[in-house]
Amino acid sequence: MKRHPFILVLVTVAATVAVVQTFGCGAARSARSIAAEKVYVPPGELDKYVAFLSGGQSGSVFVVGIPSGRLIREIPIFEPRAAYGYAVHETDPRRKLLEDTGGLWGDTHHPMLSEKNGVFDGRYLWINDLANARLARVRLDYFEADRIIKIPNLQGAHGIAVVSPDTKYIVVNGEFEQPTDGLVTNPAPYTSVVAYVDPESMEVKFEVRVNGNIDIADTSKDGRYSFSTVYNLEQGKDMGSMIQYDRDAVAAIDIPMAETLAAAGKGTVRNGVPILDPAEHAGLLTLIPVPKNPHGVNVTPDGKYAIAAGKLSPTVTIIDAHTLKIVAEPEVGLGPLHTTFDDRGNAFTSLFLDSQVVKWNIAKAVGGASDYIVDRINVHYNIGHLQAVGGDTVHPMGDYLLALNKLSKDQYVPVGPDMPENQELIDISGEKMKMLASFPTPPEPHDATFIAASVLKPIVKQVYTPTDDAVQAGRESVVRTGPHSVAVNMTLIRSAYTPDSFEVREGDTVTLKVTNVETIRDMIHGFALPDHNLNIALPPGYTKTITFDAGKPGVYWYYCTNFCSALHLEMRGRMVVQPKDATVTLTDWHAAENVKGQVVAGVPSTGDKQ
Amino acid sequence: MKTRALYLTAAALTAAALAVPLWGFAMSAPQYPDETLHLQIARTGIGGDVHEVETLQQYIGVRFPTDLPELKWATRGIATLVALLLLAAFTPSTPFGRAYRVLCAAAVFLLLFASAVAMQQRLYRVGHERDRNAPIRAVHDFTPPLVGPVKVGNFTVWSFPHLGAVMLLTAFGLSVLGLRGTRDFIQRSDGRLSDLVRKGAA
Repeated sequence: MKRHPFILVLVTVAATVAVVQTFGCGAARSARSIAAEKVYVPPGELDKYVAFLSGGQSGSVFVVGIPSGRLIREIPIFEPRAAYGYAVHETDPRRKLLEDTGGLWGDTHHPMLSEKNGVFDGRYLWINDLANARLARVRLDYFEADRIIKIPNLQGAHGIAVVSPDTKYIVVNGEFEQPTDGLVTNPAPYTSVVAYVDPESMEVKFEVRVNGNIDIADTSKDGRYSFSTVYNLEQGKDMGSMIQYDRDAVAAIDIPMAETLAAAGKGTVRNGVPILDPAEHAGLLTLIPVPKNPHGVNVTPDGKYAIAAGKLSPTVTIIDAHTLKIVAEPEVGLGPLHTTFDDRGNAFTSLFLDSQVVKWNIAKAVGGASDYIVDRINVHYNIGHLQAVGGDTVHPMGDYLLALNKLSKDQYVPVGPDMPENQELIDISGEKMKMLASFPTPPEPHDATFIAASVLKPIVKQVYTPTDDAVQAGRESVVRTGPHSVAVNMTLIRSAYTPDSFEVREGDTVTLKVTNVETIRDMIHGFALPDHNLNIALPPGYTKTITFDAGKPGVYWYYCTNFCSALHLEMRGRMVVQPKDATVTLTDWHAAENVKGQVVAGVPSTGDKQ
Repeated sequence: MKTRALYLTAAALTAAALAVPLWGFAMSAPQYPDETLHLQIARTGIGGDVHEVETLQQYIGVRFPTDLPELKWATRGIATLVALLLLAAFTPSTPFGRAYRVLCAAAVFLLLFASAVAMQQRLYRVGHERDRNAPIRAVHDFTPPLVGPVKVGNFTVWSFPHLGAVMLLTAFGLSVLGLRGTRDFIQRSDGRLSDLVRKGAA
């Protein structure tokens, strides 16, 4: 009987543990279920938003469905992608453009969507290549990079921004300062420029000189100012000398004034672009002092404030976007980098060192209230950019926020030293932020932007209208155009190449024009030619011309690289390369005549007879 | 006047049927979500997603019917009906006129019936006169019904009357409606044809 109290205690403890286990885990499961349900998009259903994530050193743009986090596709831009037949072959004009403007890779950072009335209209997306000072424009009807330009007089094209509210220019910040007149022998301090690019012509209209390293950009909602964070006002060349000053700056450039000055020929033209020097034009540039080495700058949806993140300082600097005066500098946490917004007057700032997103109330911070911090949430790990849906527009949605983290550490199964990058989706619809899900990507997204799928839907096209020079079915041909050149006009449709064979001779240059004559969406055919470094991917209706050397004598089977039909494997053809001294008569081929068994008369194609 | 309006409408509908699709086919398959393929048969031939259907049918050896003599006959028949119906509009309600209208309704019916038979025959041939060397052998011969579905491989093919056929059917209905009173007329004459003819002659 003496043991009864002991047994009672034991039973009580066991019961308590059981209750906690049961209901505790149940509650946890419930929270998980709620989060899972918010990001679950069943097979066949579509995501509400499309997120464009810069591909970083992948040189591309990743397109991700939100809230599911599913990687929908990659848009190759600065790097050849054989999978899309993009810029692969050495004679491909896009490849040549890439080579001529800096190289076959890029470092994409900031995807920016075109705006109309301060909201995204779904026409274009621009993205920078920091490494080679390039700017690319992606057409969102076909999701393809249609223009790539090199920005003159600038190195390290980092922050870019679309001038609100109607995309008047694309602002491009030059981060790596250069000799003022482009001459390395000039002993004057280095300087840099902010470039203003016309969104349609993609011409650089003018540039404004700024001393220091010009970092992240945004613009006022009325289009009056572009804001750029500038670090290293010291103009130091090494790290130690770049962090000497207590304050660096946000550079506010008066865009209409710059326009007027450029139009009046006030700039110094270098490499075809007028460069305006603020030293000669008072009011063109206003440097607003902020704690040293700031990073992001973001304008609030109502256009009232530009918010600069302190990076090395635990503060954000709130600047009146009209008067350019500092109105507050609240502390938010360690390593503030970027800020985004909801539709209820809240700002969300990424804290790189704290690995957190901090939610704070703008009006309270400006008003000097002490309770401006609303919430904090941990992310995994070392967050860089963050974006809330519509945070860059005048109408934020206030539902999801994407945290783009630099490291994933323990978030995924270890797969060698190079772990995937980690993006985390956070629900910001309530007072408290809720972590919903994470998804990995290849290296290495910096920034993101979102557009509603409903905006894209009427814009996106999946079948090309054949151009005037497209090869038409029934009019395919193989014609010898010269002693050492052959032109092949080919069509592709399930499940055949026409012609399905052609002969050339060693030393020939083959100009292949190929049209996919399919009319149904998603019916993409490839044209891969072994040992010729050649793979073309052709969407329906698309025509591509490629020139290549015939190569060594032999039989080369061209085949379809994009799965297309039940006879996909059978979709192939032969390029027969005859030896240089072959005496065999090469048969020219033409669809209509070929049916009748005739040979088209053309330039003599026998080696001996030429 | 009412009868005349009926026949004029019937004639107009019949004429209009020549300008619109007569019969339709809808083909759906898992690979074509939200984009069912459509074919329409009109006086001028087959329209719609012809390119895609031609591309697909090679796999199962179906020969796309490019030459359709039935359509020429149907066009002539419909044109004749237009003339017959117009005439019926201006036929007096005499026994002879009434007899003509009965014949006219019968002619419309006959054309519809003959067209249906010809089309069913053609549908049978499409599903049976196939290239036996087609890549996919697993699909058995098939006969799409005039109205309704048939399963062809991964496709469900629905056949249905299109606007033109509906117009022709309506014209037939109107031509039958134009006969109202004819029965009474016959009964009044005790059903004797001789009376009918005699009264007509009078």
